[in-house]
Amino acid sequence: MLSKTTKVSTSVDFIGAFDPQIRTFDIIMKTANGSSYNSYLIRGSEGVAVMDTVKKEFSEDFFHSLELLCKYDEIKYIVLHHLEPDHSGALVELMQKAPRAQLIISGRAVMMLKGLLKKEIAFEVANTGKTISLGDKTIEFLSTPFLHWPDTMSSYLHEDKVLFSGDVFGSHYYDERLFDDKVGDFSYAFKYYYDHIMRPFKLYVRQALKLYSKFNIDIIAPLHGPILRSNPQYYIDKYAQWSSEAKFRKHEFGQKMICVFYMSSYDNTQEMAKKITEGADSVEGVVASMYDLASLDERNMIDLLEESDAIIVGSPTINGDAVKPAWDLLSCMAFLESNGKIGAAFGSYGWTGEAPEMLHDRMRWLKFRLPVPPLKIKLIPTQEELESCVLFGQEVAEIAMGKMVEMEI
Amino acid sequence: MVNIFLENDNINVKVPNTKSLRYVATKTGASMEFGCRVGDCLTCVARVKSGMEFLNKKNDKEIKALEILAMNVEGLRLMCQCNVEADEGEIVISYGF
Ligand SMILES: Cc1cc2nc3c(=O)[nH]c(=O)nc-3n(C[C@H](O)[C@H](O)[C@H](O)COP(=O)(O)O)c2cc1C
Ligand code: FES
Ligand SMILES: [Fe+2]
Ligand SMILES: [Fe+2]
Repeated sequence: MLSKTTKVSTSVDFIGAFDPQIRTFDIIMKTANGSSYNSYLIRGSEGVAVMDTVKKEFSEDFFHSLELLCKYDEIKYIVLHHLEPDHSGALVELMQKAPRAQLIISGRAVMMLKGLLKKEIAFEVANTGKTISLGDKTIEFLSTPFLHWPDTMSSYLHEDKVLFSGDVFGSHYYDERLFDDKVGDFSYAFKYYYDHIMRPFKLYVRQALKLYSKFNIDIIAPLHGPILRSNPQYYIDKYAQWSSEAKFRKHEFGQKMICVFYMSSYDNTQEMAKKITEGADSVEGVVASMYDLASLDERNMIDLLEESDAIIVGSPTINGDAVKPAWDLLSCMAFLESNGKIGAAFGSYGWTGEAPEMLHDRMRWLKFRLPVPPLKIKLIPTQEELESCVLFGQEVAEIAMGKMVEMEI
Repeated sequence: MVNIFLENDNINVKVPNTKSLRYVATKTGASMEFGCRVGDCLTCVARVKSGMEFLNKKNDKEIKALEILAMNVEGLRLMCQCNVEADEGEIVISYGF
C-alpha cells in the first residue's frame, strides 16, 4: 500500500498516491525519482470536496486513503483541475461510489470530457470567479488554461489560504515526507518540470501568476511532487523569472535576430546559407548568423530558436527527405512558445528536391509565419542563383523588421 | 475582392468571395493557429475588429464554443469556421484571445 493521508492545513488532507517506480512520464519526461499523483480532501461544516483523483492503476490506494477520512455520501464536490488521465483515472469509480457529488470542471474541459470517459456524465462548469461552499469553507476558481492542458484551472481555499495549482508548480519527485521543507533537494525536478510542461506556454504562465497574485497564499498544493509551504513566494518568483518575456541582448539595442541553420555535404547548401545570411544581415537593424547543424548542441538549439525573430532552415535532399538534424531542430519547437515566429526553408538538391518544401510544411504545422516560398537550387548554385539567395534573405529580414506584406490570392 | 488585414502578421491580402480563412492562412503563410479545424478546440479564436458582415454568420455550435471563452462573444470568431461572403469589403482580424 503506497497511500497515506497527511494533514496539509486545518481542513485539507493529502489523499494522493505515490509512484516511486515510474521512470518515464507522458513519454517526454524522465523521472529519476518517480512521482506522485496528489489529491486532496477538503472538509467543511457542510460536506467534503475531493480535489482531483489519481492515475487509474493507483485507484486502490486513493480510495483507501479517502475512506479513512470520509464517507462517500459526505462528498459534495469533486473538482478536476484538468482532465489528464494521471488525475482523472479514478473519476468514474469515484462518481459511482459518491452519486451525490457534483463534478466541477472548467469550461474548456467540456468538449474533452466525453472523449475521455466515452459516456455522458453530469457536471458543472467553473470559470474565473466562481465559488463553491462547504459551509464554513469557500473555494474560488481561476481559469489558468494550457498549464498543462487547455482545460487547466486552479482554485483557492480562502479560509486556509491554500492554492490548488493543478500541474503548475509541480515536480516529478517522489518523497513521502511530502512537504518542501522536509523532502530532499527537488530543485532540479521543479525546473525540469517547468521546462517540459510550462515553458511552451509562458504567456499563460504569466497570466496565471497575475491571477494568483490576488491571493494571500500560505500553501501551494500542486498535483505532482512536494507541497510548497515553507515560502510559496520563492516558487512563484522562480516561475515569474523563467516565464518573463524574452528580452535578449540584441533586442535591447532594438535589433532583430535571424538564425540561418543548415547542413551540407558538398558545400552547396552551405553556399546558399552564406548568401542568405549576407542578404538578411544587409537589412538595417538585423543581425543574422549562421549555424551548422552538424555541430550544434540540442540545448543551444532551444535557446537560439527562442531568441531568434526568424529562423531559416536549409537542408540538402537526401533519399527524398531533409536530414535528421534539421528535423531535430524543428522538434525543439515543442518546448517553446509558438508565437508566430518567422520561418523559411531552402536547400540544394540533385533530382527530386523535396527537403525545402517538407521543412516549410513542417514549420507551417508548428505555427510559424512563412512569408516566402521555399527556395531550392539544383546542385551547384550559379552566380545568378546565389544572387536570388541574397534577395531571399533580404526579404525575410525586411518582413522581420515589420515590412507590410501586400498580396492577392 | 475583399481586403483582409491580418494584424498580427502585418499582411494585407485581397481575397475572393467564398474563400475560407484556412485558405487565406495557407496562401499567405500567416501565423494563424489552427488545431482541430472543426470548431472544437478553440485554438483558432480571433477577434474580428471590423468587417464581420463580410464573413459567413456564426452557427449555434460556434456560438456555444465561443461562450466557453467569454461572456461577450460579439467580435469573436473561430477562424476555422469562417468564409469570406462578399465581393467587396474591408476586414481587420487579430488572432488570439
Ligand atoms: C505532455 C502532453 C502533451 C499533449 N499535447 C497535446 C496537443 O498538443 N494536442 C493534442 O491534441 N493532444 C495533446 N495531448 C493529448 C494526447 O494526445 C492524448 O492524451 C492521447 O490520447 C494520448 O495517446 P496515447 O494513449 O497513445 O499516448 C498531450 C498529452 C500529453 C501527456
Ligand atoms: S481549429 Fe479547433 S476550433 Fe478552430
Ligand atoms: Fe498534466
Ligand atoms: Fe499531471
